Amino acid sequence: MSKELIRLKDVTMTFDDVTVLKDINIYFNDKEFLTLLGPSGCGKTTMLRIIGGFQTPTTGDVFFDGERINDVPPYRRQVNTVFQKYALFPHLNVYENVAFGLRIPRETTYENGKTEKVKLSRDEIDSRVREMLEVVSLKGFERRSIASLSGGQQQRVAIARALVNRPKVLLLDEPLGALDMRLRKDMQQELKRIQQQMGITFINVTHDQEEALAMSDTVVVMNEGVIQQIGTPEDIYNEPKNAFVADFIGESNIVDGIMRADRVVEIFNRRFACLDGGFEKDEPVDVVIRPEDVDIVSEAEGQLRGTVTSVTFKGVHYDTIVDFYGFKWLIQTTDYCPVGSRIGIRIDPDGFHVMKKSKYSGLYGDYSSYSEEYDEINDPTLLDVEEEGAGDEE
Amino acid sequence: MKKNRFGSRFLIGLCFLFLYLPIFLLIFFSFNKGDSSAVWKGFSLRWYAELFRNRLVLESLATTLLVSLLATAIATVAGTFAAIGIYSLTKKWRDPVLVVNDLPMMNADIVTGVSLLLLFVAFFRGWGAIAAWLNSWQSLIQFPTRLTLGLGTLLIAHVSFNIPYVILNVAPRLRQMDANLVEAAQDLGCTWIQAFFKVILPEIKPGIVSGALIAFTMSVDDFVISYFTAGSATQTLSMTIYSMTKKRVTPVVNAVSTLIFLAVLILLIINNIREARQDKLAAKRASFEPVRVDPRAERFRAWLGTPRGKLARRVAAAALCVVFVSTTVFLTAFTTSRPVVNVCSWGEYIDEDLIDEFEAETGIRVNYQTAESNEALYSLLSNGGADYDVVVPSDYMISQLIEEGRLEELDYSQIPNFEKIDDRFKNLPYDPENKYTVPYTWGTVGIIYNETMVDEEIDSWAALYDSKYAGQVLLINNSRDAFGIALKYLGYSVNTTDAGEITQAYELVRDAYERGVFQGKVMDEVFQTMEGGNAAFATYYAGDYLSMLENNEDLRFVVPKEGSNWFVDAMCVLKDAPNYDNAMKWINFIASTDSNLRNMDYIWYASPNKEALEMYPEWYEEQYGEALDPEIYEIMAAPQEVLDRCEMYVCLPKATRALYNDLWIKLGL
Repeated sequence: MSKELIRLKDVTMTFDDVTVLKDINIYFNDKEFLTLLGPSGCGKTTMLRIIGGFQTPTTGDVFFDGERINDVPPYRRQVNTVFQKYALFPHLNVYENVAFGLRIPRETTYENGKTEKVKLSRDEIDSRVREMLEVVSLKGFERRSIASLSGGQQQRVAIARALVNRPKVLLLDEPLGALDMRLRKDMQQELKRIQQQMGITFINVTHDQEEALAMSDTVVVMNEGVIQQIGTPEDIYNEPKNAFVADFIGESNIVDGIMRADRVVEIFNRRFACLDGGFEKDEPVDVVIRPEDVDIVSEAEGQLRGTVTSVTFKGVHYDTIVDFYGFKWLIQTTDYCPVGSRIGIRIDPDGFHVMKKSKYSGLYGDYSSYSEEYDEINDPTLLDVEEEGAGDEE
Repeated sequence: MKKNRFGSRFLIGLCFLFLYLPIFLLIFFSFNKGDSSAVWKGFSLRWYAELFRNRLVLESLATTLLVSLLATAIATVAGTFAAIGIYSLTKKWRDPVLVVNDLPMMNADIVTGVSLLLLFVAFFRGWGAIAAWLNSWQSLIQFPTRLTLGLGTLLIAHVSFNIPYVILNVAPRLRQMDANLVEAAQDLGCTWIQAFFKVILPEIKPGIVSGALIAFTMSVDDFVISYFTAGSATQTLSMTIYSMTKKRVTPVVNAVSTLIFLAVLILLIINNIREARQDKLAAKRASFEPVRVDPRAERFRAWLGTPRGKLARRVAAAALCVVFVSTTVFLTAFTTSRPVVNVCSWGEYIDEDLIDEFEAETGIRVNYQTAESNEALYSLLSNGGADYDVVVPSDYMISQLIEEGRLEELDYSQIPNFEKIDDRFKNLPYDPENKYTVPYTWGTVGIIYNETMVDEEIDSWAALYDSKYAGQVLLINNSRDAFGIALKYLGYSVNTTDAGEITQAYELVRDAYERGVFQGKVMDEVFQTMEGGNAAFATYYAGDYLSMLENNEDLRFVVPKEGSNWFVDAMCVLKDAPNYDNAMKWINFIASTDSNLRNMDYIWYASPNKEALEMYPEWYEEQYGEALDPEIYEIMAAPQEVLDRCEMYVCLPKATRALYNDLWIKLGL
């Protein structure tokens, strides 16, 4: 599986003095489903466009199969793209949209070094288009015009149009962004299935962490033009490298702590057993405690004691905000604790994740402005996702 | 409420009436049997027949179509690419550029026209040196060293004013287009050019089509810019129509206008049907129904995909190209083939069959153009764009042109028909030794009056200043004639340079004006007004009186006892005429007795050819089987005793011209 296919080496991209990508070094393996995840403006789409050939990096090199392709135009790359708003051709019907790439004569280089423009036969085009429409479950839609399709159907046409060219890599630019929540769930499954069926590399760009976790073999978390962490979804969730990643992936309570010894972390002047080690003695650290890793117990039994300040019913669980010594935590629990009650909590050693201090320390993880934070997320689809995602974790 | 609705309907009705009544009137009168635009004489298609025999109209129509089609094609391609270029600029630059694009459309045509003329003239001036230099170091292509305004400059002008309209129509389409479409096409294997043809072009096609349609309409419609940039040898339809209306709105103009209106109407209807169909289709597509495709269309499309269909497509495309190119070549040849002679005369001033005969006889193409007035001709000549061979100015203008050295001496050995010119019309003051001119027509100015509106015998200019006829007199709208008549009435010479005398004449006119004698100042409207019986008196030319008489039998003409102005229009050749020998042939041809007879019959102006003048009544009887009314003949060809009372205008000194001008403005009518 893991043969290296694409490599970005020291890639930096600047637009009008604004640096969008900073010294990116990354490689992509063959047949992998990889997601570039990050908030808008983090440079993920730019990276995709550099791979697609729509942009040339300011400095640094792009390699494909070991060959430098900085100056290879998009139409000569074995890469196809599914654009954000699909960019289907409105004047062509479904069939012609899918057949579009096949009808362009391709330059083929033979073993003896000769190149020739080769046109596919009508029959070959027809069979490949029909095959691909079947893959994306759009059989029978051949003659339909693009305007008559729903968002999900257009999405499938866009995927078919790209895949019919048999690229080695499919680039997807926020492919599910325009779909409603339910459709998005279905398409996540669908995309994964198609990727496995085609056996090629998918590079997906999204700002939706739940989507990234659900579909990907590898997730690349980016912020401010810098790669924050590369890993499997489990790694990213369980072992975030810094406060940004911890906060961006799922819900996290991030508190200041001190490593008193290997496997001993101190927060709120109390020592807790944990599984982390390898820090210097008394090194200040960030400690992540996931809301679902906290057990509510009676005040007397608790390792920490606090007051419930807000409770929100979420279906499967309650989002309970608890004030511990002035620091507000989010706890997700099936036990109902009324506002104002005093409670205690217990955290198992594997509930702690200790991270080195970074530039993001102290920026995230406090839920004292919990309600406002939700208000700020005025994009309803985004809100849906986060609530859904939180529900899924239980 | 009800009343309100009625009111609004009434207003709408009024609006439409206001908009369409003139057009209906025009269509109505295009079928008039008579040649007036005021008096209905029964239904006839004669003006349409005449239209298609009128070579001036047909030639200018060909020019118009050629220029409009070519300009539209070029402007559409250039404008489309310009729009794409503008669209791919950053926003900081795009908006200012679009504003710059809007400016020429809002700019007054006259400014555009004059500035283009200046540009061309400046370029021509520089070109001589460039061409000489180019010719000096290579002999493969000989570049002409002297360029003139013509089809080329007209085309450039049209392209330049059409491009903004195309950009204006294409740019919004580009803005609506998904910016990723081009990238998607490139991603799927297209080069930029392929992406352009396969994706951008279909997307912006509606914008291109409407841009092209507007450009074409603007081109066909344009008068002002063409007027400045077409030069002397090229004339568009609008220019021809304008020169035809100079003397009067002939029903031929009505017929042309009707046809243009119908053509536009049909285009509009086709366009509307097309749009309605597209809307329907779009609505169907947007509703989730599958679009039902005509099976025949489907089969045809499938057939187009087969090798045979592809061949057919190529053949059709090639055929279209051939048709387009050959039409262009044909039209170009039609308008510019050689040998030629370029003639500039007045509208409705020749029996056009003569042109055809001359061409058939000599093989020389006649480029027959018209100017509006002596002054317009003069300005054409003096700004250097014109390259006429033969012009037909009036006496006083001839003397001015001779004085300024703008005329070439004629080679009378090539004009044997000059012998036939009556001695009375030779060696006239404007050309005392007769080295430059061969007379074309002559005539008198007199009073045209409506017999039913006066109860006395009219034989004096006094009637024109008489309070008795308050509101019934049309004052001729040019200072020379208006004051000239007054001078004559006061017993002075029309050519006086005495400021006191001229001022007296001014006061006479001024006084009559203040007493409300004049209905207005008129030039061309004199025809409609007099024929319609809407004024009692006018001052005009004898020949034109005769054509008015055809439409209103109550009109009379008299050369008053105080005397009047008489004029000669003569053919001259311009200095450095490019086709001098052809010009001599043309002049000789026109001076012949036969040509003179037919011209006299056609335009009702007297001939200077002695034989023709004497023979005319006899010839008329032969032609029409009835005798010519001697009174009419006398008006057409005034007897010598009338001419003795009359004076010919000479070119006035500058100071006197300025005085005329000042007084005319002071009159402020």
